[in-house]
Amino acid sequence: MSVNKILIVDDEEIIVKLLSMSLRSDGYETVTALSGEQGLEIFKSESPDIVVTDIKMPGMDGLELLKKIKEIDVEKEVIIVTGHGDIDSTITALQYGASDFINKPVRDEALSIALERAKAKIDIREKLKEYTENLEFKIAEATDEIRRKSNFQRLLIRSSTDAIVAFDHDWKVVVYNPEAAKMFGEAAKDVRNKMTIDDLYTPKIAKIFKNQAKDGKQQNTFSWRENIINTKDGRQIPVRYTSNVLHEKGEFVGTVNFFQDLTEIKRLEKELVQSERLAAVGQTVSGLAHYVKNILIGLKGGSYVVDVGIAKNDTEKFKTGWKTIKRNIKRVGDLTQDLLTYSKQREPAFELCLPNDIVDDVIELVKDTAESKDIFILKEIDNSIGEIMADPQTIHRSLLNLINNAIDACVEDENISKKHIIEIKTYRDQNNYFCFDVKDNGCGMDEDIQKQLFDPMFSSKGGKGTGLGLLVTSKLIEEHKGVIETKTSPGKGSIFTIKLPYGKANKG
Amino acid sequence: MSKKVLVVDDDPDVRSFVVTVLEENQYMPLVAQDGIEGFEMIEKEKPDLVILDVLMPRGSGIRLYRKLKTKETLNQIPVIMFTGIALRSFLKSQKALDEFNGEEVPEPDVYLEKPVEPEELVAAIKKKLG
Repeated sequence: MSVNKILIVDDEEIIVKLLSMSLRSDGYETVTALSGEQGLEIFKSESPDIVVTDIKMPGMDGLELLKKIKEIDVEKEVIIVTGHGDIDSTITALQYGASDFINKPVRDEALSIALERAKAKIDIREKLKEYTENLEFKIAEATDEIRRKSNFQRLLIRSSTDAIVAFDHDWKVVVYNPEAAKMFGEAAKDVRNKMTIDDLYTPKIAKIFKNQAKDGKQQNTFSWRENIINTKDGRQIPVRYTSNVLHEKGEFVGTVNFFQDLTEIKRLEKELVQSERLAAVGQTVSGLAHYVKNILIGLKGGSYVVDVGIAKNDTEKFKTGWKTIKRNIKRVGDLTQDLLTYSKQREPAFELCLPNDIVDDVIELVKDTAESKDIFILKEIDNSIGEIMADPQTIHRSLLNLINNAIDACVEDENISKKHIIEIKTYRDQNNYFCFDVKDNGCGMDEDIQKQLFDPMFSSKGGKGTGLGLLVTSKLIEEHKGVIETKTSPGKGSIFTIKLPYGKANKG
Repeated sequence: MSKKVLVVDDDPDVRSFVVTVLEENQYMPLVAQDGIEGFEMIEKEKPDLVILDVLMPRGSGIRLYRKLKTKETLNQIPVIMFTGIALRSFLKSQKALDEFNGEEVPEPDVYLEKPVEPEELVAAIKKKLG
């Protein structure tokens, strides 16, 4: 790819003009903005290849712009022009993924070196992108196929290869084409002029057409509807159907029904949803690769420590190394489970369970980790919640996930004088949902993080998070027809609430 | 007496790995979990070498490194950066901070990008400490 468009952002117009002129004479196309906000707008409308931005600007500053740009496209090259020598903003810029730093006043030479580097990086990324694009191509294919199928369906109507069934004024079948025979599974010779609407259709479907005829002239026809028909031989077929009431000289003479079998379209739609989900996972690939690399580092380090333990017959060493290995094996296991959960449809497996006991189990799992980080875990249990019908896995995994996040929020908190506490509370709300709160007094989240909480590519934990945790949790909760809510304030902590509907015990 | 080497890293797996490498090569390991604890430890123990992670909670490795190198009593202690951040990005960020603050903080003696084989780490330590 050839790089040619560069966005320059600086609140000083003269700098923008000079840079722009110099870059244009080097053969680049430039677009400019005089503030972070304007920069973001232009970034969105012009999609430049490289962005060069000043850090300090009134309103949205360069760091915020960098962050916003990386949210839109994590692979965009952003060069930070700094003149402020501030460690904090440099660290932040590194964390947000700035690709280069140049100092003010900007020298042409420094800038062109930085641009050359950015260009080289873009070239390499182009190749990596092909993988993701391949997935996009598959989605495009599936979409196309759906379109073709639906065109095909229209063609069928025209050439009367829909399932067509018509009745006379006594509701006896008079028209029943081969497609209808296929759909309803009854041979034409047994149906035509022999069966009535009640013999052919289930009562639910028959009623729809009878009511239509009763309603008189204004309901002579209705637009296509969808339904599932149950055939006499026990098949369930998703269909689109319409129906016309026929009159002759004002007299009701019969009804004609058209059915289209949607089985294939439904299947393709499902496939499309699946491949979209796969593409989202594809986009997390670079984040995942980083995460897997970290696990590998852990495993290699651990096996080295174990080797030393074996060679020296040193049990303590052996135990330490083994702990590292086990911890990292568990990370692989968790990651795999998250990926599977996220990429597959899963029906919640309802069974009798004791949610308060699950809370105890989960606390037991995280107790040691929390203690080692000086975090205190409190629980407040509603003892009136006994056995309920719910999916224990959903409760277990989402609770574990939220508590682990709460622990991370406490560890990341810069305020070291704080005594960190995580509170877990179970209760029933006014809708009689089973609810649990996980509340921490850790670092909290700013508005930007909150907005992206449930995005697949997003992790605020650097290489330490897969960016799948909350996504998986919210998917589990959604499948359980529950809700997940967040309240947070930066520096003060967060509270996550999960509310789940459940069935009563002793009925199952 | 064996030489003291301080490991500053927030990841317990990294700490136990580096500690074992150090023990295996007859150094005396010391550990700290974050930037603040790391600096306290350096002032107290005056280690012969520091192995330092870059991105950590509480005061980061960058802050600790610059504090160390600009303090006369401590700036002779060699530092091995041991991190997942690419060297180029790290150096660029440091150069920008230098230019602005009119400081000249020297580049780290050794910069190792994780993952690192035990032999590589030992070679780097030996180069500095013999």
